[in-house]
Amino acid sequence: MPRPAPESRRSSLTPFYVILGLVALAAVALIATKLKPASKEGANQGVAVSLTPDQLQRVHGISLGRADAPITIYEFADFQCPHCAQFAAFIEPLIRQNLVETGKARYVFYEFPLGFKWSFLSARAGRCANQQGKFWEMHGMIFGRQRQWSFDPDAAAQFVEYARTIPGMDAGKFEQCVRSDQFQKEVSESAQLGQSLGVQGTPTLFVNGRRIDPLPESYSELEAQVRRIAPDAFAGAPAAPAAAPAVPGDTAGKVTGQSTQQ
Amino acid sequence: MAQGHAGVDAVEEAYAPPPLSRMAIAVLALIGVFDAAYLSMYKLGIIGGLTCRAGSCEQVQNSPQSALFGIPVSVLGLGAYVALLALALVGVQPRFVRDRRIALAIAAISGVGVAFSAYLTYVEARVIYMWCQYCVISAVLVTLIFLLSLPGLRRARAAAS
Repeated sequence: MPRPAPESRRSSLTPFYVILGLVALAAVALIATKLKPASKEGANQGVAVSLTPDQLQRVHGISLGRADAPITIYEFADFQCPHCAQFAAFIEPLIRQNLVETGKARYVFYEFPLGFKWSFLSARAGRCANQQGKFWEMHGMIFGRQRQWSFDPDAAAQFVEYARTIPGMDAGKFEQCVRSDQFQKEVSESAQLGQSLGVQGTPTLFVNGRRIDPLPESYSELEAQVRRIAPDAFAGAPAAPAAAPAVPGDTAGKVTGQSTQQ
Repeated sequence: MAQGHAGVDAVEEAYAPPPLSRMAIAVLALIGVFDAAYLSMYKLGIIGGLTCRAGSCEQVQNSPQSALFGIPVSVLGLGAYVALLALALVGVQPRFVRDRRIALAIAAISGVGVAFSAYLTYVEARVIYMWCQYCVISAVLVTLIFLLSLPGLRRARAAAS
């Protein structure tokens, strides 16, 4: 019985190659039906800015409270930083209630994007909301639902959904802003201001120009420090209670006072 | 005459028929290439989302554990499947069927793949509590490839002895 020639054995692979080809075709067709085009997410990175000390003095944050308040509190924060979300949930409302609304303090929010996936985009989303006078509403939504959008491949879509729920907000205009590069320069300047002041992590607070380091674990400790820095603003006022407000959104846990490092 | 027989045996030895297990490895590796390529396209921003019937594919792909030393796990998987496919395609050629190096390489790469997939499955189940159907498919594929690589190892050992 003659043995088959090697050439004919090689040709026995033909059905195998046909099967491979069919599998490849089927896989390509399947993937083609599953493709979702990348949506325009908007600028998610800073631009190079180089401000002089004089220009840095004029970098605008987003402020709350009386312009002539005796105390000025600067907060440098990143919307995607978990500690900032805890700070926003547990301490910041008490600052507003006890210091800002009583006219003792002006509170100024500066973006300091650390480099999380959506740090810069979320900072711009805040500015886009501010354009419509809705920064603090969006600030609460973004921090309160941080876990919802942080892992979303299209965080901008989540922010637009939040905008729809804020009364009086034009979600279409907001979306146009978020999905563009608007406020890229402003957020970059805010970050440069933070760097010039030695900010390395978030949240970082400055009270009348003095850095609060380490950040206290409770509002009462923070107010005690503020009282030491600006005692005149509290003349005759009793010390603050240590109670924290109810937990908004899905942010949970206790403020640890730690900062997220850059 | 003896020389003639020896020559025919040598040809027979050199041109052994391609084993079905190695063909199956090639087919599975090809499916793995597409599976990992789909996840890589998402991870690299080429496509905007993943179609996921079961689990939370996008959340898993955006979790901190989805990259190793800064390289997306899906891209590492793509590299492994491309290597396995190439090795299997070479390995089905009659002259390479009993090649020990190819058998060892397929077993080694798929073995590492099984171990890494076990770790990723643990991460999904116990750390991030989310599942990605494409990751599960990949884990099954690489496990099957590893099991199918074992006959090749035996053949290579028999040929060596």
